[in-house]
Amino acid sequence: MAQNPTRRAFLVRTGLAALAGGVAVPWNSWAAAKVGEAAPAFTALASTGRSVSLASYRSKIVVLEWSNHECPYVRKHYETGNMQALQKEATGQGVVWLTVISSAPGEQGYVSPAQANELTTSRGAAPTAVLLDPKGTVGRMYGATNTPHMYVIDPAGLLRYAGAIDDRPTTRTSDVQGAHNYVRAALHAVAAGQPVEAPVTHAYGCTVKYAA
Amino acid sequence: MRFDLTRDVAARPVAGAPVARCPLRPRMRWLPVAFAGAALLLGSGPPGVAASQGRPAGPKVRAELVSEVESLAPGESFWVGLRERIAPGWHTYWNNPGDSGEPTALEWALPRGFAAGALVWPHPDRVHAGPFVSYGYTGEVVLLTRLTAPRDLEPGARVTLRGRATWLVCAKVCIPEEAPVALTLPVAAGKPSADVRGAAVIARARGAVPTPSPWPASFSTTPDTVEFAVAAGGLDRERITDVWFYPARWGVIEHAAPQAVHVAADGITLRVRRGVLAVATEAPIEGVLVITERLDGGTASQAFSLRALPQDLAGSTGADPRPPVTLLQAVTLALAGGLLLNLMPCVLPVLSVKALSLVDHAGARAAILRRHGVAYTAGVLAAFGMVAGVLIALRAGGERLGWGFQLQSPLVVTVLAEVLFVLGLSLSGVMLIGGRLTGAGQALTTGLGYTGSFFTGALATVAATPCTAPFMAVAIGFALAQPWATALLVFEVLGFGLALPYLLLTLVPAWRRLLPRPGPWMERLRQFLAFPLYGAVAWLVWVVSQEAGPPGVAVVLAGLVLIGLATWLYAASRTVSRPWRRAATATVAVLALAAVALGPVVGTGPSSPTGAPVRDPRGPSFEPFSPRRVAELRAQGIPVFVNFTAAWCITCLVNERLALRSPAVAATFARKGVVYLKADWTTRDPQIARVLESFGRSGVPLYLLYPRGEAGRAAGEPTVLPQILSEEMIIDAVERI
Repeated sequence: MAQNPTRRAFLVRTGLAALAGGVAVPWNSWAAAKVGEAAPAFTALASTGRSVSLASYRSKIVVLEWSNHECPYVRKHYETGNMQALQKEATGQGVVWLTVISSAPGEQGYVSPAQANELTTSRGAAPTAVLLDPKGTVGRMYGATNTPHMYVIDPAGLLRYAGAIDDRPTTRTSDVQGAHNYVRAALHAVAAGQPVEAPVTHAYGCTVKYAA
Repeated sequence: MRFDLTRDVAARPVAGAPVARCPLRPRMRWLPVAFAGAALLLGSGPPGVAASQGRPAGPKVRAELVSEVESLAPGESFWVGLRERIAPGWHTYWNNPGDSGEPTALEWALPRGFAAGALVWPHPDRVHAGPFVSYGYTGEVVLLTRLTAPRDLEPGARVTLRGRATWLVCAKVCIPEEAPVALTLPVAAGKPSADVRGAAVIARARGAVPTPSPWPASFSTTPDTVEFAVAAGGLDRERITDVWFYPARWGVIEHAAPQAVHVAADGITLRVRRGVLAVATEAPIEGVLVITERLDGGTASQAFSLRALPQDLAGSTGADPRPPVTLLQAVTLALAGGLLLNLMPCVLPVLSVKALSLVDHAGARAAILRRHGVAYTAGVLAAFGMVAGVLIALRAGGERLGWGFQLQSPLVVTVLAEVLFVLGLSLSGVMLIGGRLTGAGQALTTGLGYTGSFFTGALATVAATPCTAPFMAVAIGFALAQPWATALLVFEVLGFGLALPYLLLTLVPAWRRLLPRPGPWMERLRQFLAFPLYGAVAWLVWVVSQEAGPPGVAVVLAGLVLIGLATWLYAASRTVSRPWRRAATATVAVLALAAVALGPVVGTGPSSPTGAPVRDPRGPSFEPFSPRRVAELRAQGIPVFVNFTAAWCITCLVNERLALRSPAVAATFARKGVVYLKADWTTRDPQIARVLESFGRSGVPLYLLYPRGEAGRAAGEPTVLPQILSEEMIIDAVERI
């Protein structure tokens, strides 16, 4: 259990950190998206083959959902129909729902465009589009760490919510019932022009399987 | 061993759990796992964990319950552990899993009347996965729970404790697994005996559970970073190979960001990128600080649970938040404290003599008296300013000192004792010129001797220092946490309070009229006032005995005798002819110098142990170590336990807190007649270094247990105990001698 890093490794690491003024060099490209600020613009290829740009959805509420269909936490929400229900509810009210898959080729959750479409059909999912992000560009832009990791962007293009889908960080399907769904709450608040009560929560799930 | 029903229960993946790379399945229903279903696996033997690379099949974690006792006693509490044996390359999660993951959960289904505490988590490690860092465990982990049996258990019955453990186990992919766990124990009246295997497993796990941090901690933030300051002063930077802070909550810090650690004389600072949860840094930040320390032949990780307060609340001590003291309150307290100082046994005599001279010369010119009052006040303020200035400067240099720090030096205490002794002798009348020191009447009437008054003020301050700390704690605590100008102000107000009564007497003629008439009572009072001074001297000698042991006491007592002789000689020589007087004055000077020169002997000598046993209500009493004492005890055949330790050794500290300082160890030592010696290597005493060397060690900790000798004959070589101790290890080793 004990992982005792060598003294040299320690010195190198702390030395690097000290050089960087305590703020990590390799880390500053991360977590660029901040709640309350403008959501980073991106253009990505959808499973249908067309190109989707965030900017084209200005004046609409946009939900980003990071997904990996093999992740047990994602499965929990698809096998209970929870995710699909929320997608239908949201898109029914004019919300744009983008499912993003950032798994790299060869990693868990990676799918071809055809597989992605097949998944949407077989699971009865209702996203506006499924975006394929095998290089992890969009994922890193938003600092997406988990699947599912959820984001809500308001019509003005501001990021209003980032975090978990709900407050039950388990794989137990029985936990879906009775959970407080943060995304639904955020959508209601944004639609009503109110502040989001919990704008940042702890996203739970599997790590996003980015390219190394 | 009574683990009848305790066996490795093969965990099974939760039905419907992923199996990476499986073809797309139609919607599946998740099947709740019934005990019955899992029970089928009970007899199937250890699952094929070796095939961890083969993606699917077979659980990655084998879970079982272990107990520290082999039987239950009604009403008694005991530890059980959920032991997870994790396949190579996989990991499970800590309470805060870090960037992703889920902590293990254990749901008990206990028989009626049993109570279970929350899971107690050993400290985690960092598990890197791509750009992410998780907090968790690899290899093996034992999560602890304290169970309490009901009082109405029937001895002779057998009780089965059941629960269901669920956990997420991840390599690159994650698998939720679960398993029923159970443990059957007989109920026995009386004290339960330890389970040989389980107790060792649980003791090891408890050794990895964070212990409350002995050091206060605080934090400050910038928009991007959090910086923690842990007041772990005096650690040896060279010994520390790794420091990591694991926050108890998500969102406080970036889990994967590097932590910039700086180990300095006054403690550890650790700077890390802030987490995304803004509110997380408004309340105290809780977490676990793991410090890895290099020992002889390896390293040891010590975990401390930390509660860091926001810096602005932390104050000077970093202790629990107290109602903040305002500057006005601090100044008021300081003034009151200063006034109170006038009544202290070390100060009162000095001031009384000052006041007596006023009585004697109430008719002197008011202007002259006033000037004396002002000179005296200036003396007090100057002395306070000097001591406070030194203190503030030292603290700015990183020393963790408080007011009264000067008394931590045996040299200063010795000189103080000698000064107070001279004052006492002068009041007793040994030295007839005593009046001069305390502002002679002559000076008052002639207007000379303002310098004398100034130094009386300084002297009063010096005499007051031993009494200051306990009375002015709040004001001084406030002052030390402030910028230097504010700190100095509080100290000067304290001094002003000390000077005020005398100052008022000199400034306000009306008050002087309240003084009693002069008379022979004054001489009596003067003589009587010598005794509080002797009392103060006695106390200071005791302080020296604590700081420097018998050699220090010898030095200070010799100094006092020399001073007595010098004082007498000086007084006696005043009435003889001139050449004799000169000779006497020279001798007095030599004697006084000798007395003062003895002081440094105390100051520089190693603080020698006193030899008196130190009582510890929580653990075994100990004596200071010396090779002679060990030889003496061994010659008498008495078993000896020696703890080689140092204030800067974290492992030593943790061993003492978790293992040595326990009533059970104390009882075992007492029963076996073991004498416990403590060898403190904080100042790198060469005597101790030689012993360490003889055991092939270059540092501490080292634990030696010398066995009992037969019929007064010294027995064999000592047992060397491991560097990481548990209570059980010590007791076991002692039981065997």
